[in-house]
Amino acid sequence: MSTLLTHIAVSDGKIKRSSLEVLSRMTELAEANGHSSEAVIIDANASDLVEEVQKYGASKVYTISDPIFENHQNTPLLKALSKVMDEADPFVFGFGSTEGTKDILGALAANIDAAVLSDVSEFELTDDGIKATRPVMAAKILSDNKAHGDNILVSVRSGSYDLNESPTEAEVVDLDFSFDESELKTTLREIIGASGDKIDLSEAETIVAAGRGAKDDEGQELVNELASVLNAALGASRALTEAGIMDPSLQIGQTGKVVSPQLYIAVGISGAIQHVAGMANSKVIVAVNKDPDAPIFDIADYGIVGDLYKVLPPFIEELKKIKG
Amino acid sequence: MKFYVCIKQVPDVDAPIQIKNGDLMQDTDRMVLNAYDASAVEEALVLTEEHGGEVEVVLVGPDKAKETIRKALAMGADKATHITTEDDVDYDSAVYANILATFFKDKEYDVISCGKQSQDTDAGLAGGMIAQHLDLPYATNAVGLSIEDDNLIAKRQGDSGQEIIELPQPCLVTCSNDMNEPRIPSLKGIMQSKRKPMETTALSDMNLDESALSAKTKVTGYMEKPEREPGQKFEGEPDELAQKVANLLDEEENVI
Amino acid sequence: MMDEKFDCIIVGAGIAGLAAAMILARNNMKFLLIEKGEFAGSKNVSGGVLWGSDLAKLVPNYWEEEDGGWERFINHRRLTFMDDQSTFSIDFKSSHFNETPYSGVVVLRSKFDRWLAGKVQEEIDNSDYAMESFIATNIKVDEILMEDDKAVGIRTGEEEFHADSVIISEGVNNLLTRQVGLQDDYVPADHMLTGIKEVIRYDQKVLEDRFQLNGLSGMSNEFVGFATDGVEGGGFLYTNRDTISLGLVAGIKDMREKEKSPHDLLNTFKGHPVIQDTIKGGEVVEYSAHVVSSGDKRAMPKELYKDGVLLCGESANLLMNAGKAIQGMDYAMRSGILGAETIVKARERDDFTSNTLKEYKQALKESYVMKDINSFQDAVHMLHNPTMYQDVPNLICDFGRKFFTIDNEPTKKSRELMSESIKEHSSYWDLIKIGFKGAKSL
Ligand SMILES: Cc1cc2nc3c(=O)[nH]c(=O)nc-3n(C[C@H](O)[C@H](O)[C@H](O)COP(=O)(O)OP(=O)(O)OC[C@H]3O[C@@H](n4cnc5c(N)ncnc54)[C@H](O)[C@@H]3O)c2cc1C
Ligand SMILES: Cc1cc2nc3c(=O)[nH]c(=O)nc-3n(C[C@H](O)[C@H](O)[C@H](O)COP(=O)(O)OP(=O)(O)OC[C@H]3O[C@@H](n4cnc5c(N)ncnc54)[C@H](O)[C@@H]3O)c2cc1C
Ligand SMILES: Nc1ncnc2c1ncn2[C@@H]1O[C@H](COP(=O)(O)O)[C@@H](O)[C@H]1O
Repeated sequence: MSTLLTHIAVSDGKIKRSSLEVLSRMTELAEANGHSSEAVIIDANASDLVEEVQKYGASKVYTISDPIFENHQNTPLLKALSKVMDEADPFVFGFGSTEGTKDILGALAANIDAAVLSDVSEFELTDDGIKATRPVMAAKILSDNKAHGDNILVSVRSGSYDLNESPTEAEVVDLDFSFDESELKTTLREIIGASGDKIDLSEAETIVAAGRGAKDDEGQELVNELASVLNAALGASRALTEAGIMDPSLQIGQTGKVVSPQLYIAVGISGAIQHVAGMANSKVIVAVNKDPDAPIFDIADYGIVGDLYKVLPPFIEELKKIKG
Repeated sequence: MKFYVCIKQVPDVDAPIQIKNGDLMQDTDRMVLNAYDASAVEEALVLTEEHGGEVEVVLVGPDKAKETIRKALAMGADKATHITTEDDVDYDSAVYANILATFFKDKEYDVISCGKQSQDTDAGLAGGMIAQHLDLPYATNAVGLSIEDDNLIAKRQGDSGQEIIELPQPCLVTCSNDMNEPRIPSLKGIMQSKRKPMETTALSDMNLDESALSAKTKVTGYMEKPEREPGQKFEGEPDELAQKVANLLDEEENVI
Repeated sequence: MMDEKFDCIIVGAGIAGLAAAMILARNNMKFLLIEKGEFAGSKNVSGGVLWGSDLAKLVPNYWEEEDGGWERFINHRRLTFMDDQSTFSIDFKSSHFNETPYSGVVVLRSKFDRWLAGKVQEEIDNSDYAMESFIATNIKVDEILMEDDKAVGIRTGEEEFHADSVIISEGVNNLLTRQVGLQDDYVPADHMLTGIKEVIRYDQKVLEDRFQLNGLSGMSNEFVGFATDGVEGGGFLYTNRDTISLGLVAGIKDMREKEKSPHDLLNTFKGHPVIQDTIKGGEVVEYSAHVVSSGDKRAMPKELYKDGVLLCGESANLLMNAGKAIQGMDYAMRSGILGAETIVKARERDDFTSNTLKEYKQALKESYVMKDINSFQDAVHMLHNPTMYQDVPNLICDFGRKFFTIDNEPTKKSRELMSESIKEHSSYWDLIKIGFKGAKSL
């Protein structure tokens, strides 16, 4: 019996859904293969989150609590993760593919000389490792991958697996951890534009994303109103984040975030492959674009060919009626 | 200041591709400078223009990748090292990181910068690996860089906002293409690029051991992505369109 | 050293520019080849058949290269007349065409041009000016520098580069040709066509079976009639390695008058029942549109040279479309070769004035290029005639239908059928005129 370990990423005291998706998958694989599904929470107050993690089938939960984990910093996180690796010796160590994960995955792999596959959309166990699917070429193509070794790291794109509750009574192991400020190799000066209680894009059920077509004030207003009627998270194409019109954290795509909402409304977005790379897995895609040949229509379930300034006002009204 | 920028030659993701017998085929053999690396080069150029210093690019790849090195030199990098490999090696990020870290071991530098990911594989691993091997302070996914005294200040796009991180030099940073708009080489730049120093080292002369060069991960095949079923396209009066689509979303899809 | 003058600057790395560059490199000239696209071929959508054997002059034994820049050689040709339901084809296939050098190869320009540019680079690397000659891409030439009405270099952005000569091979959208005063600013739209093309992909086996391809053999098929839905022009289908290029060229003025868009026309063409059968099962992987000259001499520049500058390829509207094929690439290639050869002579004599450069015009005149352009002008004009792209195809198809119908009625003799069809679709008089003209022009 081997250990399948899942890292539970926490941001502002909340567990990232993508971690729980990975845990759900790990639990499923553990049950099918006679392994044990375990999890590790590393946070300022890790113990508070054990209960939620148990719901997804972890039979053992490691916790590391230290105020240093208030904000993401790679040096302490790497130290903590290495410690857990020593302790749990996981055959597979899974991560949700968050920015925090991306920051440490390479270094962690190099540190323990482990095989690593990042940003997979599917994975399963093999005799000597894992087999995984990764989107490549701006997500136009899927690649089949194999990784082998005693410890394998894998990070999983958000939305790849459904949450699947299978509550257990977990053994909780509080790991001893200390970190001295002097060990920090870098200094975190400040965090700007922290999202606070904004809806996290990669977890949103509904997203309204704006592109260059909606770059002026009026366009922005319409997009905001549409998002608020639908209680949706706002997203953006690179054209708008690059121009400083929308916050960089809202960018969706190859450079930005990967999302998989139930409903994605693309407003004034052409549908460049690098944008589509981040949203093609949305359940229902609606596109508003005045160019009937815009590539976004190739993937939209409902394409509205028209000027967004003319289409959005009645659309918003209509939605209000339905909602209200 | 001495900047090393790790640059990679990658297939142009905009070129038509197809899969034949599980292999990835490009209609044209279109290879380009990784877009994220182009941003790293640009930023290094801007910072050395401002603070003085030198930019050297390093590339691990086959002979034909020279074209990509020239591009970086034409942008303005001062010199280049080309670590040459066979044509069709199947190295993963870890192997490239091993090679690059070995190269950097006895070098002097202030900053090593990488792209935040390869645009063909989106792996995003090599930078952190190199930093770990060299025990360097590092930051990934930088969207802005500046120099203050002997520190590199990186603005990093994190999960909950932008983290402003101070890195003592020497350090490593991986760059997002959101950082800048890479310059297009001028004709003079292109002409000068031919005369800039380019050191070529065969990988086989670097004496890396077998294990450092054997990839623990392998691509075993490629598949076409299942296409989305083409949907409905509506044209006509805005009012009618709005009503129709809103109702469909409500009644057919149940997503409102 | 850096700011030294070049022997020549070539503007545009299309077929004409690449051919010229190859000759210059081979003759140890110091030159710059400048292309505005990201790489040679990136802006070139056309793709089609490169006719003739000049390619072998540039790249000897090119066919021996396993993965060369070309797609297939032509050994099967077909000319198809179509009405809205039927097609009537003249079909010719011959193993005679299997011999090298081939007499025509199908190319996809984004691949072919890049490949040819690689060959030019090899030639540069082997020349005396390996370090001084360049192919520079992603650079747009904004202006040809003129001194006393003589070309002395080029400007791109803020940068200026000087040369003893300039070859303009910028293609059909010839702004620089106009800037140096070799062509009037206004060229009537009825001398211009729009070409549109789709690349449609198949499983290679399917493609080979459907079009009876063997190894790297290929087929070219031209279409007249319903292909352009009443608009002056014609359609084409060429087989590539695992795709086909399907498209048409249509008169810009005629299209405007008939209120048709290139996109509509292509859809109508693709919707034709016979074409549907021919192309079914494929996946469109590329769509592109580009202006193309009609081959009408009236659209040609006033002159092909001037002190320090030559025009090659379609920037001089060197192209021929007399119905059975579009010949633009081969003309571009030959004119690029001849232009560069003239520059080499000019270098030898150290005289880059019209005195030497006029020999380019002479050489072109003696070549098949100008000979054909001159002798087929009537055919080109005839293609402007609606009888040719409407009535004749209709008539031929009508005849075909009657001829091939067996319906338990007394069968008419074909002469009788023919005259019935003619009465329906055209006047005898028109046809006699066309027949007479056609016989003379082709
Ligand atoms: C390595 C790399 C990574 C990248 N990563 C990303 C990424 O993560 N995310 C991303 O988004 N991009 C990314 N890009 C950029 C991407 O290629 C596109 O440039 C970008 O997505 C374009 O944004 P857009 O669709 O808003 O703008 P455009 O392409 O300019 O499209 C604007 C659209 O709005 C429509 N429009 C205009 N006015 C109206 C109107 N009044 N009503 C209706 N429609 C209107 C137009 O028809 C057009 O289709 C990346 C590029 C590279 C090279
Ligand atoms: C749909 C279609 C189908 C065709 N089919 C055939 C066919 O089957 N057979 C055939 O022989 N011909 C065909 N042609 C015609 C043929 O493509 C052209 O005649 C031929 O490409 C002309 O070659 P060229 O070198 O003169 O110009 P081009 O191939 O057009 O090359 C000109 C180059 O100059 C560059 N350039 C332009 N301006 C500048 C500048 N200012 N600075 C730097 N670079 C510049 C351009 O980017 C381009 O790369 C077809 C054309 C079309 C549109
Ligand atoms: N072969 C290589 N040569 C030089 N740098 C490389 C190479 N491979 C990866 N890198 C660097 O690592 C970054 C990408 O890492 P990854 O996404 O893991 O492939 C690139 O942007 C480069 O900066």
